[in-house]
Amino acid sequence: MTLGEILEKRVKECPEKTALFFEGKKINYREVNQNVNRLANGLMNLGIGRGDKVAIMLPNIPEFVYSFFAIQKLSAVAVPFNTMYKGGEVLHILKDSNAKAVIALTNFAPLINEIKPELPSLQHIILTGERNLTFADPESNMFVQLVLSQETLPDLDSAYHKVGFLLTNVFKNFGIEDVWYKHRGSIRVRGKKIAGFLFQEIEDTIIVTIVCFLRSFIVDEFLKVIWVPPEIRDKVVEPLTSIEGETGGYPDRTEFKNAVVESIEKVFDVIIKEGKLERDELFGYQKQRSLAHKR
Amino acid sequence: MKEWRLIYRPNGDTADIFALPAAIAEGNIASPYLLSAKKAKETVIIQGVGKKGILAGADVSIDKEEAEKQNIEIATTPRSGRGGSRPLGTISYQELTLKTPDEFLSQESDSESPACILYTSGTTGKPKGVMLSHKNFITECKIMDGLFEIKKEDRIIAVLPLFHVFGLTNVLLGAFYHSASAVLVPQYTPSNLIKAIVETEATVMLAIPTMYTHLLKKRECPSSLRICISGAAALPPNLVKKFEEKFKTRLVEGYGLTESTSASSLNPPEGVPKPGSIGLKAPGIEMKVFDENNNEVKDGEMGEIVIKGDTVMKGYHNLSDETGEALKDGWLHTGDLGYRDSDGYFYITDRKKEIIIKGGLNISPREVEDVIMTHPNVKEVAVLGISEHEREEIKAFVVAEGTLTEKEIIDFCRERLSSFKVPKYVEFRDILPKSLVGKVLKKELIDGYKDERLIEEKK
Repeated sequence: MTLGEILEKRVKECPEKTALFFEGKKINYREVNQNVNRLANGLMNLGIGRGDKVAIMLPNIPEFVYSFFAIQKLSAVAVPFNTMYKGGEVLHILKDSNAKAVIALTNFAPLINEIKPELPSLQHIILTGERNLTFADPESNMFVQLVLSQETLPDLDSAYHKVGFLLTNVFKNFGIEDVWYKHRGSIRVRGKKIAGFLFQEIEDTIIVTIVCFLRSFIVDEFLKVIWVPPEIRDKVVEPLTSIEGETGGYPDRTEFKNAVVESIEKVFDVIIKEGKLERDELFGYQKQRSLAHKR
Repeated sequence: MKEWRLIYRPNGDTADIFALPAAIAEGNIASPYLLSAKKAKETVIIQGVGKKGILAGADVSIDKEEAEKQNIEIATTPRSGRGGSRPLGTISYQELTLKTPDEFLSQESDSESPACILYTSGTTGKPKGVMLSHKNFITECKIMDGLFEIKKEDRIIAVLPLFHVFGLTNVLLGAFYHSASAVLVPQYTPSNLIKAIVETEATVMLAIPTMYTHLLKKRECPSSLRICISGAAALPPNLVKKFEEKFKTRLVEGYGLTESTSASSLNPPEGVPKPGSIGLKAPGIEMKVFDENNNEVKDGEMGEIVIKGDTVMKGYHNLSDETGEALKDGWLHTGDLGYRDSDGYFYITDRKKEIIIKGGLNISPREVEDVIMTHPNVKEVAVLGISEHEREEIKAFVVAEGTLTEKEIIDFCRERLSSFKVPKYVEFRDILPKSLVGKVLKKELIDGYKDERLIEEKK
């Protein structure tokens, strides 16, 4: 008997029985099995089969259950691990287990991308859920976003390098000499993160979102709103540093903007001029804002 | 030279972090068909916020009241859906499963083959991969019957993370094995937990001591729970009494390891529970106490707890030396020290690796912790050995309530412990570092602890 067969047995015996309660919904054994089967087929199409390791980095959501049983039905090996783990720990587990695929929440994309070059066996990053979380603080962080066409950033590796290079330039400008860029990853000073970025695509447009830390960032108030038990708080937040943390001083917003503009102009060989949103964009902007406030 | 556009908003708000780039990207898509004929310029947005804010995905649960109290603005990114944005170089789960068939039959497999590798968070060293087979899990589901009964009608609260052996085996697989239902709680907060219990009229809960402590502080007390199980860390006896009275249920402590596919013993819910004990061994497996030469000791005598049976792991992934150390003649050496009383109840005293050896004498950190805990102003304590001039000294890390000095703690211990067991140092902390299942991470208290979360540059 295998774990996949246990699920199949339940479907035969009591298909309509509720297997999972999740946020006001009931999901019965037949529905669980269908979802499991769809994912098993999807994973099989990616070339996942007997004995392959598939990591699961998900909280208690139905996709965890579907992933676990889909892996079992494929005779592959599930490697579920702690969603609180950060860089070095995730790297250790994915490397040690030789995972061929990882199923994770969308917000782990930057982290997994960052360590991927060190994981030759990791072929597929499968993402689900809407659990991105960005803390914005007038005192400490600023956001730089590039909305570019695929013609400007035709290939991902060089795009990462360009953005990494332009950001290290910005921080060097402010006197941080040992700042470095981890390929596909964050901008770090020693092990700590001083800026992070994410590449997203919508059709042929690429959006690069960069968050930079100018002053030390105090997360306590934010963590009261997203409830996290105090004793595991340091597990939730990645080790961070800032321009102030490294040099003692910090730029004002205009100085920071000027440094970023200058660095982008140099790296992309362009001229940047301040402008406004066009008419279509203004409509879109109002729509997006109203969506962002709906809850 | 090409010209790019800059949108500079030094004092925007949280929603703009999402709305500005999304609007521009949308403009790019829409413009060929809609109003303006020209494609938008390449754009750089630089923005800061005027007020603290959180931009959260649609699935993040936010305490709105608290947000207002902290004066933090909340904005939500809408669900991206199909055709929405997606991080480059990744596959969308939803797209992967969109057009695939509903049918898939389990591939034939040997029940001894590995089903899962679970990484133990461990209180020392790097996480080790524990290899567990289909048979390991199914045996554990079977022996659960002998520990506490799960009925078809049961709704079991899945608040323990499913990536942890306790949640995966005893909650999810336990529910599915017994045709019961699992209630998924995706993000633990005491309020979310209470809400899930009330909404589903949950009947069984498996959780860790911290969660039971949090529940005690809540006003609401649902009465649908017929049995509660605690594991993963020691359960304070006074908590049991208070909890059982308030929630009109039984709360019993069990014991198990990732290496033994979770629960190996439990205080009998219908029989006599013994406070401070981890209960009776599960039927169908063997559990004994061994001395250093792997001989069983008499009841009441101290030794290492060992387990044998079909729930014991295949071994550690890629670690043959560690596997050999843990599995000797089929006996899993748990690394936990303790004893069995004449009624067959097991007790844990210490982790073997945490025993402090000072001047050739063995000192149990648990014994020192238990004494310090009796001080009225001590909230939490962790005692460990630190190396000093090639010998071990005792150090206590204390979370105090009210004022307390190092001298007071040392004097308090002097009155109650032999002199060689009295800590040389006391350090006060605001909190003790804990794992997700509530175990104190002693390794993080040691001087020179290397933060494993850091990503270092390779030179």
